[in-house]
Amino acid sequence: MGMIESKEVYLEYPDGTIALKNVSLQVESGELLYVIGPSGSGKTSLIKLFMGIEFPSKGMLSVLGQAMTKGDAAPGKYSRRLRRMMGPVFQDFKLIDGRNAQENVMLGTRFLGLTPGEIKDGAREALIKVGLEHKMFSPVENLSWGERQRVAIARAVARKPLLILADEPTGNLDKENALNILDLLTSFRDENTSVVITTHATHLISENDDCRCIELEAGTIRRETKGWTKN
Amino acid sequence: MKNYLFNASYFLKEVKTSLGQNLLSGLLSLFSIGLIFFILAMITFGWWAGDHLIEAIQSEAEINVYYDDEDIDEAGKASLVENIKEIQGTREARIVEQQEAYDRMVEILGKEARVLEVFDDNPFTSFIEVSIDLEEIDHVLKKIEPMAGIEHIRDNREVLDRLQGIAVLMSYLGYLAVAAVGISTLIITSHIIRLGIYARKDQINTLRLLGAPEGFIAFPFLLEGMLLALGGGILAVVMVSLVINFIYAQISGTLSFIPLISRESMTWGLVIFIISLSLVFGFIGSFLGFSSAKKV
Repeated sequence: MGMIESKEVYLEYPDGTIALKNVSLQVESGELLYVIGPSGSGKTSLIKLFMGIEFPSKGMLSVLGQAMTKGDAAPGKYSRRLRRMMGPVFQDFKLIDGRNAQENVMLGTRFLGLTPGEIKDGAREALIKVGLEHKMFSPVENLSWGERQRVAIARAVARKPLLILADEPTGNLDKENALNILDLLTSFRDENTSVVITTHATHLISENDDCRCIELEAGTIRRETKGWTKN
Repeated sequence: MKNYLFNASYFLKEVKTSLGQNLLSGLLSLFSIGLIFFILAMITFGWWAGDHLIEAIQSEAEINVYYDDEDIDEAGKASLVENIKEIQGTREARIVEQQEAYDRMVEILGKEARVLEVFDDNPFTSFIEVSIDLEEIDHVLKKIEPMAGIEHIRDNREVLDRLQGIAVLMSYLGYLAVAAVGISTLIITSHIIRLGIYARKDQINTLRLLGAPEGFIAFPFLLEGMLLALGGGILAVVMVSLVINFIYAQISGTLSFIPLISRESMTWGLVIFIISLSLVFGFIGSFLGFSSAKKV
């Protein structure tokens, strides 16, 4: 099943800026996809489309089987439902200050119909997976940037998502932390979970035959390759 | 619904956090709402007490029927009384003799009764005192007027109509007070909720990005508004209970003849009324606050 299918998609913002032009791509179940390109090339706009924050101005886009059309009666409602099946990871983490790591992870699953026990256990397991079990009760503002991004990843993973969408997850991190975060993200890809990572820091991507890479430039797909090599 | 039940402790914690972030505003709002509800409670107290008083007076509505004493003998008077008693809407009818009418006036005038000494003879005449159901007054008058020997009927209608007018005015005042309190509470609650929303806009946006339903995001704010208004309502109820106790203590000592609703009924009635209103206005106010600040 195609997790994401887009055909000749355009995205034009209200101020007239055309962020994406004629973007056609497909993300299969269990696939790892890197979207690379310089700042302003349209990577974040693409993630916004996948999350239903924006809708295509032209073309066809389907995410997790749901057509993302601007003219839908309640696109917001569809988007929210879709997002519950996704694990988003953001460059600025989007964690809630004043809450500890566990509470932040639990925030992502509270509205998924789980029991309080399931919510708590899920958060604990996710924090163990990202190696932060010892910081479970630390307020997030006391954590390092790398640890904060791990909490954000734990929040995404705890939701057992079909699709992990990471938008510049290493943007605020030093090289060592960035490498760890990319390794961690790619480790969550399995037969049911696809991972899409956008980044402009191509030097951080490990050589990998088992992935796909799309290079964006000025809103269009410049190149699409199977696997990733440093050269 | 399951999500809301499972997350009850989370919602309460969110409310606590939000109130903690705006502690001073929250406290000021609570006192403002309390004072507004106190004013409403006092107006309602006046409204209900007045209504009860007027009802009590109306239930004792009487008309006085005067007859020509010279033309009617004792048997005629008795037959007149019996005929009046049979009219639908008449509860009781009896003859008030000349001396009784005089004695009543002496009692009413008290020290001023000496003005009656200027009369050589008793200036009052005997009459028939008729207790009636107020709503049947027209029917009763229509039946008595054509009876033989009737000279004049004093129906006190003007006084009764005026009392009715006061009752209507009191109820209008009551409704007006409810509306004014409602609007003020809505404004205060929605304002404090908006402050809370702006203070936590990042958290709200994150929840939206994670796919949280709008109801889930709004629930802590609705709860906060309701608790704030409920707090104000409880404050008002405490104050009004003290005032009611004081008023009843005063009245029972010096004005005990005034028929009042029992203190317990009045207090409980006001408690239920104010608490229910505070919950309803708190909910609507916070709902409006959340709706108006949706796009943070």
